Amino acid sequence: MRRWAALLACVLWAGVCLAAAPADEITASWQLVADHLGRDAYVKLDQLAGPPTREQAFAQAVVAIDYQPVTQERLHEAEAVFEQLARGDDEIAAASAYLQARMYQIHYQQQDYAKAVELFRALAERQPRSHWAQLGLVKTGLLLLYALPEPAKPADRIAAAEALLPRIGEKKLWRDLQLQLGRAGTFYEQPLDTVLPHLLAADRVGGLVGQVNADLLASIGELSLRAGHYAQARAYFERYLKEDTYNMRQMTVRRRLEDLAVLEAKAREVKP
Amino acid sequence: MRRRMKRIGFWLLLLAYGLASYWVFTRSSPLLKERPVTIWFAHWQIERGPPDGIAAVIKRYEELNPRVKVVQLLVPGATIYPQWMRANLAGGTGPDLMEWGAWVEGQKDIPARYFTPLTSELAQPNPYNRGTSQEKIPWQDTFHDKLLAPRRDSPDPGQIYGVNITETSLRLFCNVELLRKITGSVAAPKTYDDLRQILVKVREYVRRTGQPVMGLAGSRDTARAVAETVFSCPLLGVNQRMDDGGNLYLYNRQVLADYLEGRWRYSEPAVKAGLQLVREVTQAMKPGFIQLRRDDAMIEFLRGQAVFLFYGTWDATTLRRLASFKIAPMKLPSVTPDDPEVGRYIIGLGGEGQGETSLAMYLNKSSPHPQEAIDFLRFLTSVPGNQIFTDNSGWLPAVDGVVVPEEIRNFRNYQEGYSFGQAPYDAIGSEVTILWDKYFYKLVGDQGSADQFAAALDQAMPDAIRTDLQAELRTSLVLVKPQDAMIAGWAGLADGDPADRRARARQHELEAGQTMTEGLVLQMRRTLDLTAGNAGR
Repeated sequence: MRRWAALLACVLWAGVCLAAAPADEITASWQLVADHLGRDAYVKLDQLAGPPTREQAFAQAVVAIDYQPVTQERLHEAEAVFEQLARGDDEIAAASAYLQARMYQIHYQQQDYAKAVELFRALAERQPRSHWAQLGLVKTGLLLLYALPEPAKPADRIAAAEALLPRIGEKKLWRDLQLQLGRAGTFYEQPLDTVLPHLLAADRVGGLVGQVNADLLASIGELSLRAGHYAQARAYFERYLKEDTYNMRQMTVRRRLEDLAVLEAKAREVKP
Repeated sequence: MRRRMKRIGFWLLLLAYGLASYWVFTRSSPLLKERPVTIWFAHWQIERGPPDGIAAVIKRYEELNPRVKVVQLLVPGATIYPQWMRANLAGGTGPDLMEWGAWVEGQKDIPARYFTPLTSELAQPNPYNRGTSQEKIPWQDTFHDKLLAPRRDSPDPGQIYGVNITETSLRLFCNVELLRKITGSVAAPKTYDDLRQILVKVREYVRRTGQPVMGLAGSRDTARAVAETVFSCPLLGVNQRMDDGGNLYLYNRQVLADYLEGRWRYSEPAVKAGLQLVREVTQAMKPGFIQLRRDDAMIEFLRGQAVFLFYGTWDATTLRRLASFKIAPMKLPSVTPDDPEVGRYIIGLGGEGQGETSLAMYLNKSSPHPQEAIDFLRFLTSVPGNQIFTDNSGWLPAVDGVVVPEEIRNFRNYQEGYSFGQAPYDAIGSEVTILWDKYFYKLVGDQGSADQFAAALDQAMPDAIRTDLQAELRTSLVLVKPQDAMIAGWAGLADGDPADRRARARQHELEAGQTMTEGLVLQMRRTLDLTAGNAGR
C-alpha cells in the first residue's frame, strides 16, 4: 500500500512539474523578449510541446514582429494571430488588438494611419479600461497631432487630441499625451497660453526622468517668461537649477533668471 | 658505456617527443587553466596613456575576480574602428564592451540596434565604491557630469546606454619657449583678440627670420577642433532665435528642420561671421593642412614648428612624454561681444560647461556574459578603479572622489558660459559634414573666402540636410519598432508575477520613452513632407 502511495505521489509530482514547465518556459521567453533577444525567445517557444496556449500564441506573434530580418510576410502572419486573439475579452485580447493596430502604424513598410486609428478606437470601445486600449489612445493622439490628413489646421489637430484626455484614466499615459500636446503646441507655434497648461499638467503627474525632465523644466520656465508669467518662470528656472545640477544649460538658465529679475522690476514699476 | 648512454638519450628524446605530441593533439588549451569567463573590451584610445591605464585596472580586477579574464582590444580609430565595429556587431562577433561616440560618422544607429541600456543598473550604488566618498550614491551620480553625454546622445530619451571612463576638454597646448622667442612674453592670451595678435606676430617673425614656424599646428583633425570651437560662438544667437520649444537648447534634428524651413542659412551674417573666424584660425596653419591628420600636427608641434597645438587633453600624455620642451596647456579664449571683428554677432560668452566625461563604453546586447561585463564597468568607474586608470594613464578621471594628479589638474579649469546647441553647423549630420569637407577649400587659403564657402554650402546643403533629417528619422524608427516587443515582454513578466514591480516600471518607462520618440519621428516626418515644396508647418 505504502509503495502504491509513493508511486502515486511520484506520478502526481511529475504531472505538476510537466504542467508547470510550459508556464515557466513562457516566463523565460518573456524575459528574453524584454531583453530584446527575440531569436532566443523564438527557439525557446518553438521547443514547447503540445497545442499552444493563448499566451504562447501571443508570445510567438510578438517575437515574429521583431524577428530579424523582418519580412512583410512574417508581419502579415503575426497580424493574423493578433486578429484572432483579439476576439477574446481578456488582457491578451486587448494587447493583441493594440499590436494589430501598431502593425499599421509603424511595422508595415507601407503605413496606414487611418486603419491604425480605426483599430485603436475599436479597442477603446470594446475594452475601455484596459491598459492597452488607453495606450492606443495616446498613439491615436500622436497620429491626430501630426499624421492624419484631417483635421488640417494645427489648432484643430490639437483640439482633436485633447478630446481623448478624459478617456485616459492611467495617470502616466495621461501625462504622456499632455506632454505631446505641449510639444505639438510649440511645434505648430500656438499661443503660449494654450501650450503651457499641457506642459504644467505633465509636470504635475511627474515621474519623467533624465533629459526629458530637464527639457520639460527648462521649457516651462522659458515659455512662462515669454508669456509674461514671471513668478511661474522663476519657480521653474530655480527648480531646474536645483534638480538638474549638472547640465550645459545651467549658465543659460542663470542668465535667464537675471533677465527675469529685470522684467519683474519693470513690471513692478508699471503696476503703481 | 658510451653507446648505452646514447641509446638512453635517444629513448628519452623519443619519450619527450611522444609526450609533446600527445599534449598537442589531445590538450590544445594552455598549461595553466583558463578562467571560465572572458570579457572583451574594445576601444580606439591608442594614444599614450589609456592602454596602460586600462591594463592596470584589468590587472587589479582580475586579482579581485579570479573567474573573469578581461582582454583589452586596441583598434585604431580614425578609419578602421567604425567598419570593424559594424562588421563585428552585424556578424554577431562583437566584443562584450565597446567604445562608441555620437560624433562617429555614419554610426548613429549602432546603440539602438546593438547596445543595451544600463539605466536600471546605473540607478543603484556601485558596490566597488564601498568605503569611499561615493558609497551609497547611485552609480550614475558618481560621475563628475552625471553622464551628460550618454543622456543627451541616447537614442531612447530617458535611457542611459553608456558609461564614461574619463573626462576631456580642448586645450591650446603652447610651446612656451617658442612663444617667448617670438613674442617676448609667455602670457596666455586672455581674449580672442589677444590670440589674433599673437598669430600676427608669428607671421611677422616668419617673414623676418625665414624660420618654418606656424601659429597653429595644422591637420584636418586639429582644424576641425579649433574651427568648431570658434564657429560655435556666433551660432549661440542663431540657435536662441530658433528655440520655439523654449528648451534653451537645440538638438541637431531641430537645426536640420529649421534649415529646411528656411530659418537659417550659411550665408546669413551671423553664420558667415563664424565662417570668417574659422578662416582666421586656419590661416595660421601650414598650406595643405587639410590633407594631414592629427599625428602630422603633433609631429609638427613636437618638432618646434608651431607655437600652438589646439586639440583634446587626450593627447596631453603623449605630448608630455615625447616633447623636448616645456608645454603649457592654455584655454582658447572665447570670442566675446567686444571683439573688434565679429563682436556684433556674439550674444555672450560661450561656455565649456562644467566638463564632460567621455570615452563611453557600451554593453553589446549579444554579450554572453552581460553581468560580468557590467561588473567590470562598475570596477573601472569606481573610485579605486578610476584612480588606477588616472594614475597610470595621465587622463582625467570620470568619477568624483578620485584624486587628480597635479600635472593635469588645470584640465578641469572650465570656461563658464552659454551653451545652446548639440553641435556647430558643420557637424549636425553625416551628409552635412561630408559637404563641409568637400567645399572647405573655398574657405581657406589665399583664394578662399567666407562668402564663396557660404554660397557653395547653401547651394548644395538642402539635399544633404534633407538626407540627414531622414537618417535621424530612420534611426529613431530603428529604436521604436523593437520596443513594441520589449514592452510586451515586460508586460508578460509583470502579468505573470504581479509582485514584480520592476517589470511593470520598466514597461511604463519604455512606453513613455517610445511615445516621446514617436512624437519626434512624426515631427520630423511632417517637416520633411511640408518642406518638400518649401511650405511651412
